[in-house]
Amino acid sequence: MIARTSPIVRLAVRAVTPIALLIAAFVLFAGHNQPGGGFAAGLLLGAVIVLRTVAGLQQPRHAAVFLAVGGVIVGLEALAPMLWGQPLLDQVVVSRQVPLLGKVKTGSALIFDLGVVAVVVGLVIAVLDGFGAASLVDIGRRPIDDAPVDTSVDSDSRRNR
Amino acid sequence: MIWFLLSLFVVAAIATAATSGRLGRNVLWIAAVPMAATALWSLTIVGSVEAVSVGFDWVPGLDVSILFRVDALSALLSLMVAGIGALVCVYAAGYFSSSAAGMGRFAATLVTFSGAMVGLVWADSVWTLFLFWELTSITSFLLVGFKHTDPVARTAARRALVITASGGLALLAGFVLFVDAAGTAVLSDISPITGSTATAAAILILVAAATKSAQVPFHVWLPGAMAAPTPVSAYLHSATMVKAGVILVAVIAPAFQETDVWKPLGLAFGIVTMIWGAIGALRHVDAKLILAWGTVSQLGLLITLLAIGTPKATFAAMALLVAHAVFKAALFMVVGEVDVRAGTRNINELSGLRRSMPITFVVALVSGLSMAGVPPLLGFPAKEAAIEAVLGLEGSERLLVGGLVIGGAVLTVAYTTRLLFGMFGRSEPMPNRGVAPARPAMVVAEVVLAFASVVGFVALGGVTQLVRSAAVLVAPKAEVYSLLRWPGLTTAFITSMIVVVLGLVVGVAAVRRTVVSGPAARGAANVDALIDGIGRAARRVAGRVQHGSLPLYLATTVVMVALASAAFVVEIDADALYWWDNRAEAVLVVMIVAAAVAATTVGSRLGAALVLGAVGFSVAGLFVALGAPDLVLTQLLVETVIVVGFVLGLGRLATRFPAATRLWLTGRIVVSLLIGAAIAVALAGAASSPSGEPPVIDLAASAVADGGGNNVVNVILTDTRALDTLGEVVVLLTVAVGILTLTRTRSKRRDRSSETAT
Repeated sequence: MIARTSPIVRLAVRAVTPIALLIAAFVLFAGHNQPGGGFAAGLLLGAVIVLRTVAGLQQPRHAAVFLAVGGVIVGLEALAPMLWGQPLLDQVVVSRQVPLLGKVKTGSALIFDLGVVAVVVGLVIAVLDGFGAASLVDIGRRPIDDAPVDTSVDSDSRRNR
Repeated sequence: MIWFLLSLFVVAAIATAATSGRLGRNVLWIAAVPMAATALWSLTIVGSVEAVSVGFDWVPGLDVSILFRVDALSALLSLMVAGIGALVCVYAAGYFSSSAAGMGRFAATLVTFSGAMVGLVWADSVWTLFLFWELTSITSFLLVGFKHTDPVARTAARRALVITASGGLALLAGFVLFVDAAGTAVLSDISPITGSTATAAAILILVAAATKSAQVPFHVWLPGAMAAPTPVSAYLHSATMVKAGVILVAVIAPAFQETDVWKPLGLAFGIVTMIWGAIGALRHVDAKLILAWGTVSQLGLLITLLAIGTPKATFAAMALLVAHAVFKAALFMVVGEVDVRAGTRNINELSGLRRSMPITFVVALVSGLSMAGVPPLLGFPAKEAAIEAVLGLEGSERLLVGGLVIGGAVLTVAYTTRLLFGMFGRSEPMPNRGVAPARPAMVVAEVVLAFASVVGFVALGGVTQLVRSAAVLVAPKAEVYSLLRWPGLTTAFITSMIVVVLGLVVGVAAVRRTVVSGPAARGAANVDALIDGIGRAARRVAGRVQHGSLPLYLATTVVMVALASAAFVVEIDADALYWWDNRAEAVLVVMIVAAAVAATTVGSRLGAALVLGAVGFSVAGLFVALGAPDLVLTQLLVETVIVVGFVLGLGRLATRFPAATRLWLTGRIVVSLLIGAAIAVALAGAASSPSGEPPVIDLAASAVADGGGNNVVNVILTDTRALDTLGEVVVLLTVAVGILTLTRTRSKRRDRSSETAT
């Protein structure tokens, strides 16, 4: 409904998306020393996805892919130290001088956090999928049983590509 | 070599499963490879004095290790298991039609079973033995239920699994007690143990052996297991799996020689089974069932001999074990071939088979006579040794055990006679239908086994060597005994000749009798009824507990939490608590409470969602006031996503909450107050008695050093308590998968209903 009636909302959400992605990336990296981290970054991305859904814009649909990738990353990161005889989940910290940025410190915890991001995003998509959010946006407030199947979302999102 | 052979089984199992039926019945040739290799290697070991052992510590802390030891006994057994297994594969390649489905699955299960059985006989620690014991239970379940579309086969498979798996539990308990009493889990190290622990272990292990080896009253699964394809019956229910119990009793017997309960309980199992099985064999007209009941009877005899425990009886048991495997596998194969070619196994319908299936007839005659204990066949010296052993007993034992064993022998001859006469007695050709052409693979396997019964007698010296070197490992004094081709006119020989004559008379008299019904048939039905009853009761309990009402689930959870936190009431120390750190908190708390109250009274769903959001954002404000930026960030993001999600989701529901009854309202208020009070009490209780320094000091110190980060909260999440985070990720994944599954099934159901509508 919003998608049809409010071009302002759509434009705003489209404009905000790259900024939000940037902030999510910042939050992810900042988590090391400042507030932020994988969970927060994942939620930021989740919020973007929810907003895009409300605006009827194209957004990732395959929750299972995100969940699988996230789960595998986290699992491997957890087990990897054991290959080198270290305890489970032990982490490595790397610190390098990088031109322009100065001293950059990161660690294997970042990989762990990336997995967390993927899982959180996957969860948000799964919940939206569960609501049937994409179709809801267009059918608006109607009882579920007589809701006609509306495919205009797909054509809408295609146009926005 | 042990590892190589065992891994060969694994490779063959994977390979056969991977063909998924593309090769048809020819896949069985792959299955035969590891079995043949194992049989050949066993042949080089068998009879030698030295043992080959390998193994490794599996769980060092619990003293659980995987140990294998191949000595004269286990090599003899693995020769039997693998050798007959290879022959069964050959036989099965003829038994199944060229278009038979599911052969990949069949071959894979058969190979896995065979490997499990080989592992079982090679096992040298009780835990290794247990592992393979359970594997044989599972694979035999799959093999019995191979024709999984047939309800009879499914029921039979389930019955077999429930009985043998219960026995597995008894075995586990028995082994735990045994290791406790004996102080070692290594089978080759055991010495006699006594005491109440040993008694309990003896009972449990005997019961486990009885379930596996089909001893009364656990025998009911074995006749039912005849629902399996005949190659499976020939392998599992004659030569191998049912022998597992016997083998267990044999290898563990030395430990229980001084335990009072061992011998009487073993004798009770064995003798009752021997007699009851033989009676059962006389009752049926299905040739396969006659053999199945005959197997029950023979297993009873084996357990009886091992329970007697004298060196002579142990020696006889070993000899009989080998002889029985050979002749019983051959007889099952004969019955399978008759079934396939003549179209029936009913001994009242079969006729003219002597002429139409001459080779099969000879095989049946040779193996049958071996089973009856008639010279010049392998069964004769074995049976002779058994009779010698029971005649060697003293006093009342000699009268009772000896009398019953000899009685059992008479019945054995009787059902053998009945089987042979029933299948091959009539000479007129089969009415209505002819006999299908012979299948070479089946005949080859049968002839090899029949030949073995003859060769075993001719080369009795060699067989004696093998059996003796195996028997001394169980009972060292057995080394003085031999199997005799011609024992002379001893009491035992005269007795066994009387047995043959008496059995012949009874058998001929019973040939055409058809007594199918009787108490035996009800045993299986009772077990099935019990299993069904448990299933029904479980469904009923689950239906009560998992009622599907969300409000009731929630109420149950809340009440449990409230009960759990009630204990904290006594911990609350009013003096230690204070109202706030700064004034802003008070304002925010007022906002939270107001929003929470509003959430309960507002009538529109959208309003409720927004007010809930207000609670969440106010809590975020509270975190700001408390100086926790990480929590603020996360809380704000979570609330944002939740509120937008709520608004989206509400599109599916009516605008306003449905009208509620007064009782329902009261209930909700009570539950809400209860959870609020419970959490408040728990927190107040915890805050009243802080112990020691706050952990934040240590954590802050270690954050930079160990975690390499200045944000203590995130270092806790990704390093200090990373395992917790991992757990949370697993929770998230589980929830997401649950949501996906729920919505997928829902939309599928909707699709289906719309399909039926159009």
